[in-house]
Amino acid sequence: MDELELKEQNTQEVVDTETPLDKNVRLMSPNQMLARRFFRSKLSILGLFMVVGLFLFCFLGPVFYTQWGETELDKSGKTEYATAVTTYTVNGVEYTLHQTTETHLIDNFLAAPSAEHPLGTDDQGYDVLARLMYGGRVSLLVSFMTVILMTIFGVIMGGLAGYFGGWIDNVIMRVCDVLMCLPGVPILLILSSAMDGWVSLDLVEEEMRIYILMFFLTVISWTGTARLVRGQILSLREQEFMVAAEAMGYSTGRKIFKHLIPNVMPQLIVQMSLSLGSMILYEATLSYLNMGIKAPYTAWGSMINIITTNQDILQNYPTVWVPAGLCIVIAVLGFNFVGDGLRDALDPKGRR
Amino acid sequence: MAKQNTAKNYLSGKEIRAIAKANAKEMKRLEAYKNRKADESEFLTQMKKQENILEIEDLHTFFYTEQGIVKAVNGVSYDVPKNAVVGVVGESGCGKSVTSMSVMRLIQGPTGQIVDGSIRFVSNEYKRDEKGNPIPKAGAEGEYEMVEKVYDIAKMPINEIHRIRGKQIAMIFQEPMTSLNPVFTIGQQLDEVTLLHVPGATKEMAKAKSEEMLRLVGIIPENVYKAFPHELSGGMRQRVMIAMALAAEPRLIIADEPTTALDVTIQAQILDLLQDIKDKIDGSILLITHDLGVIAEMADYVVVMYAGKVIEKGTVYEIFQDPKHPYTIGLQKSKPTMSLDDSTELYNIPGNVPNPINMPAHCYFKERCAKCTAKCSGEYPGMVQVSPTHFVACHLYDEENNNG
Amino acid sequence: MADEKVINNVAAPVYDDEALAAEYQAKRQKQIEEDFKKPIDPDCVLEVRHLRKCFPIKKTVTGKVTKELVAVDDVSFKLKAGETLGIVGESGCGKTTAGRAILKLHQPTGGQIIFDGKDITNYKPKQMREIRKQMQIIFQDPYSSLPPRDTVGGILSEPVEVHKIVPKDQVKDYVLDLMDKCGLRDYYFERYPHEFSGGQRQRICIARALSVNPKLVICDEPVSALDVSIQAQIINLLKKLQREMNLAYVFISHDLSVVKFISDKILVMYLGAVMEFGTKEDIFTNPMHPYTKALFSAVPNPDPTTKMDRIKLEGDIPSPANPPKGCRFHTRCPYAKEVCKHITPDYKEYEPGHFAACHLLEKQD
Repeated sequence: MDELELKEQNTQEVVDTETPLDKNVRLMSPNQMLARRFFRSKLSILGLFMVVGLFLFCFLGPVFYTQWGETELDKSGKTEYATAVTTYTVNGVEYTLHQTTETHLIDNFLAAPSAEHPLGTDDQGYDVLARLMYGGRVSLLVSFMTVILMTIFGVIMGGLAGYFGGWIDNVIMRVCDVLMCLPGVPILLILSSAMDGWVSLDLVEEEMRIYILMFFLTVISWTGTARLVRGQILSLREQEFMVAAEAMGYSTGRKIFKHLIPNVMPQLIVQMSLSLGSMILYEATLSYLNMGIKAPYTAWGSMINIITTNQDILQNYPTVWVPAGLCIVIAVLGFNFVGDGLRDALDPKGRR
Repeated sequence: MAKQNTAKNYLSGKEIRAIAKANAKEMKRLEAYKNRKADESEFLTQMKKQENILEIEDLHTFFYTEQGIVKAVNGVSYDVPKNAVVGVVGESGCGKSVTSMSVMRLIQGPTGQIVDGSIRFVSNEYKRDEKGNPIPKAGAEGEYEMVEKVYDIAKMPINEIHRIRGKQIAMIFQEPMTSLNPVFTIGQQLDEVTLLHVPGATKEMAKAKSEEMLRLVGIIPENVYKAFPHELSGGMRQRVMIAMALAAEPRLIIADEPTTALDVTIQAQILDLLQDIKDKIDGSILLITHDLGVIAEMADYVVVMYAGKVIEKGTVYEIFQDPKHPYTIGLQKSKPTMSLDDSTELYNIPGNVPNPINMPAHCYFKERCAKCTAKCSGEYPGMVQVSPTHFVACHLYDEENNNG
Repeated sequence: MADEKVINNVAAPVYDDEALAAEYQAKRQKQIEEDFKKPIDPDCVLEVRHLRKCFPIKKTVTGKVTKELVAVDDVSFKLKAGETLGIVGESGCGKTTAGRAILKLHQPTGGQIIFDGKDITNYKPKQMREIRKQMQIIFQDPYSSLPPRDTVGGILSEPVEVHKIVPKDQVKDYVLDLMDKCGLRDYYFERYPHEFSGGQRQRICIARALSVNPKLVICDEPVSALDVSIQAQIINLLKKLQREMNLAYVFISHDLSVVKFISDKILVMYLGAVMEFGTKEDIFTNPMHPYTKALFSAVPNPDPTTKMDRIKLEGDIPSPANPPKGCRFHTRCPYAKEVCKHITPDYKEYEPGHFAACHLLEKQD
């Protein structure tokens, strides 16, 4: 069966006698090989679906789901009537007072899922589905920016340390050691309280809070990338093709950017996709601790934050916070699956 | 335009998927066959010639890679006579190592599989009673009744392979640096062999045996018994590896490039040692190497392999003094010799070893052969017997055979 | 004329008598300094004088070196254009280090390297970059010496573009021409190194080294990792290119038969020191040093009818970090005498152009 197929292929190729044998041998291109190894794992395919699905949901979703905007409140509030019957006696005469109170609810809050609000509304009257999409944009963007920033910073620092070695390496690595000792969340808590002060003094705008916090997160979390890049460069530097580049008389810049960095890229991509997951978690944690983005804007973490203030919602209105939680889980899992798949695909030793 | 050229040279996604699908099916079938439970009668067989200890017949070992089936060993047949040294020579990728790995059943699954053929081996093992205990020999302390059995190793299920591995067939690897476990002492690793393969062996017995073996390979046991592998030099480690292989008193030793990683002067020492041992032990050596000099010094019989096939086999004198196959001739000519001559150019075989995927139907050596004829574009040449012990697979000798 | 900064660290033979040792060292030092002042031979592409390279293996906390590994000790030779110098030796003999020190990929600890009439020993990295294109290197392992993520065309065009060997629009033609010279087919241009076998990769390495029109190529075991039939091809290619481009080769190998075939002069090294140096004919027809003789007889002979009488070398190669005192070879030398254990033999010219370092030879004088 498959034998036959291969044989057919052979005879076809042998006809072409003018060309030497090796031209007829067809192999996989490097990219094909990469794809093949990536897609061999079912989990990485699942991860890819999860990540792509979330992106489509967040960035294309609002194009089709136009009923509610990001900060649009459902003001279609209903009117409630409360009747009270009071009986009292004046001078022996009994009066009965029928009192009706009419309450106009401006905002349609905590609505149950319906055709108009597929996931209901939250305690403010925002549409949960629309908020999920817009919140996702913020969450994903913030994590992407952090990861990119972190990687750039890490590559520069790690590259410098690895390539030049000596005292530069020593200084950078000791800074790394110190930064790695710092606990992330407590520092961010302190920073956030400080920022409360700055906000009240109008030094910082409220919307910028999460970005500033994430920037500080970058400042303390580039160490992992830097170490990875340094290690890679140290081992690549000893490879003979780097000695050959040295012998060719290439400039330092060319050696680093043309020969070293492209060879570190695979590991970097893996590291980036794995960090994306952890950054989403960080963002969620910060938002959950009420240090994240503030109303009327939102992010996934902030959407869950509701349950800390309102026990009732936690118990009775899962449609308000469960979807956001699910999104976080899917995003983190997805990025991790993709990262693991990429690592397996890019690691030549893992070839089976 | 260049882009198109490259695209044409790679497999398409459809082809890749087709290969993967076909491979998965074959690998599953062969894995199941390898892991099956089988009765002894299924893999017991008879030797074709009584003087042989190992007969490899029509062995096919394939690797199911993502780029296609690599026919690493493609119909290889050769025999190892008792108490002889058989040298297998060939260039990298010719399947010489894969053949020996197949004999030891060390081919890494699921991609690597023995597809077809038989490997018959005469095993000399303890006679066992119904419970599987060895029967002691009457009148001799610590000795047991022996029995000869002929196994077809290619058909053995993988969980039965312990019967021959290490005990009946031992292996010496190329890399003495990585073949010893770095966390155990030399003594521990040597003792283990005896403890594992000799029933009722005590620690004292094992130590005595290990020291004997170390002495046999020219090492003073006191210095090395308690040493760790990293404390020894490459040559010493290779000696230890040989001692380990000898410890179980195997009937066949497979030496896979035993001297390639060593310096010339150390290589000379190890070759002398192997020569020495060859006479001392009651067994055969299957020596695999790419170095013609090593083969000429060591072997009684030579098998020349090219691209997964045996192209010529015979005694060492036949192969070196009257080589028949153009490849064997070319190989010998292209090796620069130590005698001084002033030729400006070395003889060389043009071209490269063909890629093992998608082999042509005709002779694999055709593209590189200087004596290629029209017949060579036809089917793959069969083995032609040119003397009682000398065989060659080349169309050049077809007629001779017919006439004579 | 030359910078004399690196003149120090002269190898001292170990004498039991310290005064004798001091005297000897002073004499050597003087000799070396004199040698350094000798005029540069304009015919030579490369002249190496008393090359020495040490690696620190033990350092104190303050960075002071307390123990050194002398990888290359006092290597001198001259090489003309179109000539090949073969360096032979076993592992740890410093032949690779010597090759790299000549290219200044390792900064030499002592000695002089005169390339093309210029003393480049103390050139700064920036000055070296200009010189680099005239001296190239080919490595043993054709797998790790090519960048894995670039096509053959890219690998070969890069040096041509960087050093502006030809105008930009002619680069591709130039590279294709070069590939043809090195026996590579034009459709390899777009392919990646992983698609090739060792021999073809080595051809790519050779093409890359030659793309900048060098005068000197250091071949560091270029055929050791290759099969016999491919070895012959590569050796022939190297010889052909040498004739065409008038290249000077420093050919480093442990394989005597290969070195014999390609070299004009041969340098035999053992544990960092030169044992014997001479023309190919000298070394092969009249080897003087016992180590050279032993090395020759250790090569397995591909002829089953003649069994050679081997000069057996006992024991292992000592660690280069702890070389034996006296003659470095005395621990394994079958003819070693008492004097060999204490005194380092002088490296002398015993026949015109034929140098060796052995006490046994001195006796004959």
